[in-house]
Amino acid sequence: MDHASSFSSNDTTQKKRRATASRNRLGGYLFVAPLLLWLAATILYPLFSAIALSMQDIRIIGTAGDFVGLDNYARILGSESFWQAFGRSAIWVVGNAVVQTLAAFTAALILNQRFPGQQFARIWIILSWIVPTVVVVIIWRWLLSSSGVINYLLMAIGLTAEPVGFFGAPTTAATSVVLINAWRWFPFMAVTLLAALQSIPQELYEAAAVDGATAVQRFWRITLPLLQPVLFVLGLVGTLLSFNVFDVIWLLTGGGPSNATTTLPVLIYDTAFTRYRLSQAAAISVLSGLALLIFALLFIRFMAPKQEDES
Amino acid sequence: MSRHKSSMLFMIAVVLTMAVGLSACAPAAPTAPQPAPAAESPAQPVSVRLWHMEQPPHRVQRIQQLIDEFNAANPGIVVSQEPQNWGEIYTKAPAAVAAGNAPELLFAIPDFTPILKDLGKVQPMEDLVAEMDALYSFYPTAVEPYAYDGHTWALPLYNMAHSLWYRPSVFAEAGVEPPKTWEEWEAAVEALTRDGQYGIGLPANKHLYTDQVVYDFMVNAGAEEIYNPDGTLRFNNPQTVEAYDFYSKLYRFSPPDSPNWTWGEAEACFANRTCAMILQFTVITTYDTQAEGDPNDLGVIAIPHSPNVEESGTIAYSNAVMLLTDDPAKQEAAKEFLRFLLKPGNYGRFLNMEPGLFLPVTEAGSQDETFWNDPLAVKYRSQIETMIANARNGRLFGFTNGNTFPSIAAISAQNLLAQTLQMVVIDGKPAAEAVAAGQALMEEAIGE
Repeated sequence: MDHASSFSSNDTTQKKRRATASRNRLGGYLFVAPLLLWLAATILYPLFSAIALSMQDIRIIGTAGDFVGLDNYARILGSESFWQAFGRSAIWVVGNAVVQTLAAFTAALILNQRFPGQQFARIWIILSWIVPTVVVVIIWRWLLSSSGVINYLLMAIGLTAEPVGFFGAPTTAATSVVLINAWRWFPFMAVTLLAALQSIPQELYEAAAVDGATAVQRFWRITLPLLQPVLFVLGLVGTLLSFNVFDVIWLLTGGGPSNATTTLPVLIYDTAFTRYRLSQAAAISVLSGLALLIFALLFIRFMAPKQEDES
Repeated sequence: MSRHKSSMLFMIAVVLTMAVGLSACAPAAPTAPQPAPAAESPAQPVSVRLWHMEQPPHRVQRIQQLIDEFNAANPGIVVSQEPQNWGEIYTKAPAAVAAGNAPELLFAIPDFTPILKDLGKVQPMEDLVAEMDALYSFYPTAVEPYAYDGHTWALPLYNMAHSLWYRPSVFAEAGVEPPKTWEEWEAAVEALTRDGQYGIGLPANKHLYTDQVVYDFMVNAGAEEIYNPDGTLRFNNPQTVEAYDFYSKLYRFSPPDSPNWTWGEAEACFANRTCAMILQFTVITTYDTQAEGDPNDLGVIAIPHSPNVEESGTIAYSNAVMLLTDDPAKQEAAKEFLRFLLKPGNYGRFLNMEPGLFLPVTEAGSQDETFWNDPLAVKYRSQIETMIANARNGRLFGFTNGNTFPSIAAISAQNLLAQTLQMVVIDGKPAAEAVAAGQALMEEAIGE
């Protein structure tokens, strides 16, 4: 084969490859197109709708409003109730993260051990997660009522002389709501951590044991580092989900007493549907979305697990 | 981290944030009201959907019984009921109107009607009110809260009024007489508080029930007027402060979880003897089915009053039904159903979906045998007669002395009477300071 014909053959092959690659690319786009369209319909439309709504002065759903530009944002950012709700949301997220992480880690480490009834325990633990929210709320409202089981036990063992109003004072209400929500969601985190724990090779622990590492050292030097990718995802997704929890709070306390449990989602609902300020509620939604976006970017920037092949 | 992985994570973060954040938080965008559906063809029965907020199963069952009778007697009309919740209807009804999915008939209370009226969907009903008045004679106070802006916006159906409920045996055991004044009331509540029993159950939730109980105190302090005749607010006055101050005094003898109460928790507290007395529309059904059920040991009296007021008053108001369709065929079908409901023989059974709670709004209704012949009405007749007597001195915030102020809807929807109470009993503010702050909140609510 002479040089010219060899060049021509290579050129043809490259053209064929490019054509194949182009077809593959097109096929790929066609495969993902339905998903992208679905995402556009379910994410972009509500997003732009909320932004458009936030720049009008609509009060009751279904009524017309005028364009007011950024007036709603100025009003919201200057409002004490927004910043108070923002602060409560931050406390809510941190409180849930701490309690859920501790409970989930403890549960996952226990369930990762071999003991009689291990399989049963692994199924049992997810019950609180699969029970509908309304049922969870009814159970806890009954347990924590002034004539409920928990008050009965507290008085029976002499810890309190009178029933505690768990939802009656700001501090106890906020604490109770955090604990109930954490109780509901920690099994999800525990099951995820358990799956990650089971993927850690036993040989690493055996080698560490041979080297004389203690249980605590094995946890800090093997378990925790190898759980980093899972913890990162749980931290990100858990925070975003936790921030937006509305049902548990609304059904337990309605944001009270005296607004002590009014987080941003509760404030949004209250603004839209009891104060009838739909556009202001949309502005709070957009601001909440921005806050979450900033959080997510910072979380990825500073908390993403380091890769070994990082250049 | 490699650029590829960074991009991936960034994409994940953006998608998650948008999906979890904005789509969850953003309220639904308003939709243009849909045109009313065309009238159904004459061959097909006209359908009428009824939304009401009487959710307990026995009430739903009684309403269904009446609907079935009506549908059987009117083959051209099919009425159906869809029970709703008072806690959600302020949200759901405007959304349904906006989505073009409003029911033809919707139950209402006076301060709920202006919200729907402002959406332009509520139909004037003065013709039907006049027709029913000629036949059965409405009590004027039942109609007045719905008559403004040149029309009557709802047809009254039943009346409700708060009373003070107690057990005579519990009072006797504590050596307490039924109180008539605030001084006697405070002494009684204190005497009745002992191990396992609270002297009184008072709500402090930011809820309609708390609004109602707070207003009971306001009426009995001489502070029933929230508005001046010119429409300006006069909530911040010495009588209101006195009412809130006295409420906080009695609240000290209430269960610690009462900041989370609605009507049901108060009734349960009375039924299980944890609360010696409560303010409630009725406890008859709960007392009869879940407590002793002894009519001789169920006491009901007028709510005690301040020394500055001559006689006891209470919150009282008529519940009504609004017509939300502009389709003439549906309008006529819906009105036919309402004529059926108010007809003696049906009306008493309708009221007795919860015996002893719903009181007649017509003179004919108060003499309807089916109202008084219900087994519970027979058993607790003296209590029901006392409730009717108490209702005669009833008031409703925003609808007093012949004045009607539709802007009360904004105050009521936000439960600002209850929010003001929380400033006193939860945050510990002096009543005067809380009432001043409450008036500021009200001005903001109606002024924006």
